[in-house]
Amino acid sequence: MTQVHVVGVGMTRFGRHPDSDAADLGAAALMEAIADADIDPRLIEAAYCGHVFQGMVTGQRVLAQVGLAGLPLANVENACSSGATAIREASFSIRAGEYDVVAAIGTEHLTSQFRGALTPDPSDPEAAVGATMPGVYAMRARRYMEEFGMTREQLALIPVKNKANAARNPLAHFRKEISVADVLESRPIADPLRLHDCSPVTDGSAVVILMSDRAAARHANGRSVRLAASALRTGSVDTEPTSMTFEPLTRDTARDAYEKAGIGPEDVDFCEVHDCFSIAEVLRVEGLGLFPQGEYPIAVERGEASIGGRLPVNPSGGLIGKGHPLGGTGVAQVVELVRQLRGESGERQIEGARVGLAHCRGGKAVGIEGAACTVQILIR
Amino acid sequence: MSATAAPAKSFRPVELEVREDGTGNLLGSRCRSCGAHFFPVRQACSGCLSQDLETVRFSTEGTLYTFSVVRQSTPDFEVPYILGYVDLPEGVRIMGQIGGCEPDDLALGMTMTLSLEPFGEDVEGNELIGYRFRPGGAGEGRP
Ligand SMILES: [Zn+2]
Repeated sequence: MTQVHVVGVGMTRFGRHPDSDAADLGAAALMEAIADADIDPRLIEAAYCGHVFQGMVTGQRVLAQVGLAGLPLANVENACSSGATAIREASFSIRAGEYDVVAAIGTEHLTSQFRGALTPDPSDPEAAVGATMPGVYAMRARRYMEEFGMTREQLALIPVKNKANAARNPLAHFRKEISVADVLESRPIADPLRLHDCSPVTDGSAVVILMSDRAAARHANGRSVRLAASALRTGSVDTEPTSMTFEPLTRDTARDAYEKAGIGPEDVDFCEVHDCFSIAEVLRVEGLGLFPQGEYPIAVERGEASIGGRLPVNPSGGLIGKGHPLGGTGVAQVVELVRQLRGESGERQIEGARVGLAHCRGGKAVGIEGAACTVQILIR
Repeated sequence: MSATAAPAKSFRPVELEVREDGTGNLLGSRCRSCGAHFFPVRQACSGCLSQDLETVRFSTEGTLYTFSVVRQSTPDFEVPYILGYVDLPEGVRIMGQIGGCEPDDLALGMTMTLSLEPFGEDVEGNELIGYRFRPGGAGEGRP
């Protein structure tokens, strides 16, 4: 079976785009990815488009803008993992031998859809009691603080780190460094979480172009990176309440990805993880097996997760700093991995990185630990 | 997740039984094959895949797993409110608002009791009944 290679990446600036829509943003990222791959756009044989709130046939509207309407395209919804799921579907269509060159698009114009706190679908019983995503993660933060003794100041170091990284990312939503005091003085959203603990409402799009071995041999420009694994799991309905300070879903999805890539967590040089909230970054990296449970806050304090540290986490700025356009997020993580692995990340470059991991997790439904979780591993 | 402010404040009778005397219970499934419980009602057991499930009333007392004071929400909900997870003895964890106390009165692990209460209005202005959890056991002479 063929391997899958990322040969081109494109990404819009993340932030507010009042004069564009999801299709405009997707088209801009797609054209940049085509230029980055340095290929004739007619080589692209199929496309997948991840988005959450952009309505019917958003992917087709992207293709129509760039002259590629007519290609087979499927729109993919998997909450915050939509873009990552689009990459996975695209990679499967190549591995199945059906296509050699496929585009995976992630796009979202969230500022036109949405303000404030995300909530579960209105049909969900937890929506009826006032569940919000910040509220759920705040509850997990309180429990983690109680179980592991994490302090509020330690938790604040995560947005401080991610916004420092974002300040070095020209495409990030936030370009300003913040202090622990800024976090602790920002508006309370759901105790103990405050505004700086939360990812923003962001517009943006990212695109990757994938190729089979044979297409890459002919058309890749020498900067391609191998997509060594693209794992997906859905959270289970548990038969008894389980810990909310550890994520079996993240652990199991990562296990699938490590196995596929033939590596272990000790081989990962850096990662982009789904830090929709500060506490989420803690739960992700511990679930991924990258840091022992209960120890990540101390590792952050020691600088181990910073650029230049033992294992940089969210060098792009993450969802908190770079922004979180739901469908765009998972693809943008892979764009960051590719640029880091190529050595194109400028002042936030991680020296000598060879193995990068991207993790997304999203969606909330009553009784389910997490609706969709993806882990992708890229190797230079 | 929703991008809209669709009216969400409704409890389905299949999830919340409200009796005429003002009492009620959360309802869920019990697997007759392995004994596992689920909220809300399921059509098959995720433990053993049996389809032999019965609908049961859950206990009204449980313990507080964790909580938060929500200060930003949808237009359907007046903020702030306390949101918590309560573990019931059947082995289900229920999310609900917490009433009848201040956040400082709460401690993880404390006993909580289900309480049926007015819970806003529907689009036509009819009063809705929902549930909250209140600190203390049912036998502890709550107000
Ligand atoms: Zn069973």
